[in-house]
Amino acid sequence: MSEQNDMIKVMRLLQFTDSQFPVGTFSFSNGLETASFEGIVKDAKTLKDFARSQSHQAAYSDGVACIHAYRAYKAGDYEKCKETDSYLYAFKMNDEARLMATRMGKKLAELGVRLYSDNFVKEWLKEINDGETPGMYPVAQGIMFAIAGVSEKDLFCSHQYGVINMVLGAALRCVKVSHYDTQLILESLSEDIERLYQEASKMELKDMNAFYPELDILASLHEKGNMRMFMN
Amino acid sequence: MLQNKKEKLPTPVVDFDNAKEMSRYLREPEAMYVGAPGKHGYLRMGFELDKQGKSIMRDLERRAPLIVQQELYFDEEMPEMPCVYILSSGGPNVDGDRYRQDITVKKDAYAWVSTGAATKLAQMRFNYSGLVQNIILEDNAYLEFMPEPVIPCKNTRFISDTRLVVAESATVFYSEIFMGGRKYYKDGELFEYDILSVCSHGERPDGKQLFREKFVIDPQVEHPRNLGVMGQFDVFANVIVMTPPEMASKIYEKTEVFIDRDRKLAAGITRLPNNAGLLYKVLGMEPGPVKKMVRSFCSLVRLTVKGKPVPEEFPWR
Repeated sequence: MSEQNDMIKVMRLLQFTDSQFPVGTFSFSNGLETASFEGIVKDAKTLKDFARSQSHQAAYSDGVACIHAYRAYKAGDYEKCKETDSYLYAFKMNDEARLMATRMGKKLAELGVRLYSDNFVKEWLKEINDGETPGMYPVAQGIMFAIAGVSEKDLFCSHQYGVINMVLGAALRCVKVSHYDTQLILESLSEDIERLYQEASKMELKDMNAFYPELDILASLHEKGNMRMFMN
Repeated sequence: MLQNKKEKLPTPVVDFDNAKEMSRYLREPEAMYVGAPGKHGYLRMGFELDKQGKSIMRDLERRAPLIVQQELYFDEEMPEMPCVYILSSGGPNVDGDRYRQDITVKKDAYAWVSTGAATKLAQMRFNYSGLVQNIILEDNAYLEFMPEPVIPCKNTRFISDTRLVVAESATVFYSEIFMGGRKYYKDGELFEYDILSVCSHGERPDGKQLFREKFVIDPQVEHPRNLGVMGQFDVFANVIVMTPPEMASKIYEKTEVFIDRDRKLAAGITRLPNNAGLLYKVLGMEPGPVKKMVRSFCSLVRLTVKGKPVPEEFPWR
């Protein structure tokens, strides 16, 4: 796979990042539904702030994990991949976020088995099904991108795009913003990507960190509440 | 109740110099050096049941500036509960201070631990202040650890690592409250610290890792005022409750989650990974209402696990 030319790699990057890629990104709102209901996110400005916090929170946890899984695949180190998976699972404090990450992670592993005849991903899906590993989405992303020969930086971009786009996609359904607003936000937040990658790519698993108590409380309200436009 | 033959061990090393986020703060202080006597506190407390079945503090070792005198039995709702205040003779945590606190609660024993006053983190210029904690609960043990808030002053640097080793049948209530700073000092001093790095992780006695939560708050990088971080709030409480799943479910069901714009108070709860228990968070403007929320949550935990509430706080606290 690593011999493939750059154009095919771009096609793979687009394929894995597209919202139609069937892992279910469109079904989740990352707490935006509650933030909107509570009046914390009410316009383009507050939506941008919310999406930025989601992006930064993910960069230093999910982002770090997907990079470690990617490197583990490249090094043929299956155990390191498992360690990354259980580390990230133990780090994900929010119950709903854990559920989302394991559901999407399993779907992505299932896709991986269909798209590639690769023993690593086959074994990975088997272990998820056997309950031997939690199967977090960012770890599956790392494995898939490594199989497809897409670069580590592109993986990180795809991970960040996924986080931001999930929020913005949900915003079109529950916040008073236009498509123009969400595209402007995406355009602007993309400018953080290089700095986030520089930081995240140097982090060990033990360095993963997150301090977003307001997001945590919003997620908890969603978890215990009755708002059910999006999945929990 | 203290053991006569106290075991004197060398003060355990507390070293965070390898922590990535502290790499900018490793200069030796010009005043007393890192780890000098009086700047390297150590506390070891062990609670267990005596022959009559009374929960007592059997083991106590302490080094300045940390002070623990003896357990008292002042909890009116649970008069059998040994209660301990951790005091510091050093005033605030200063540049280059190191602390270690090890608390063990043996099988079936129970205890309540707090601090005598808020922990002030003084301004620092060279180094940082570090705290290592090991909290170990054996089968069916019960601990409420509910210290007064931490107040980080301008340019302070603080790092902590708390390891909770808890048997499946035991319950630990572990709370921390962080103020934004000395809110009413001069023109107000909020979020002017250099860094707070706080890590708490839970495991079973066999070493199985259950969860790991780590905050690194560096206002230069991500300002706590940002939406999703602290937003408009000034005070933050974090409570870890490791307890068996059936207890956790009961507590979870009865815990109210809300964002109250009028009272300027918010609270949320979620389940910890690997059936470890619960995580409760509170945001508010002043320490009083936040402490009250934490205390009433503790009361719910105690009612569920021990069948008794936590009494009203003393009026002077």
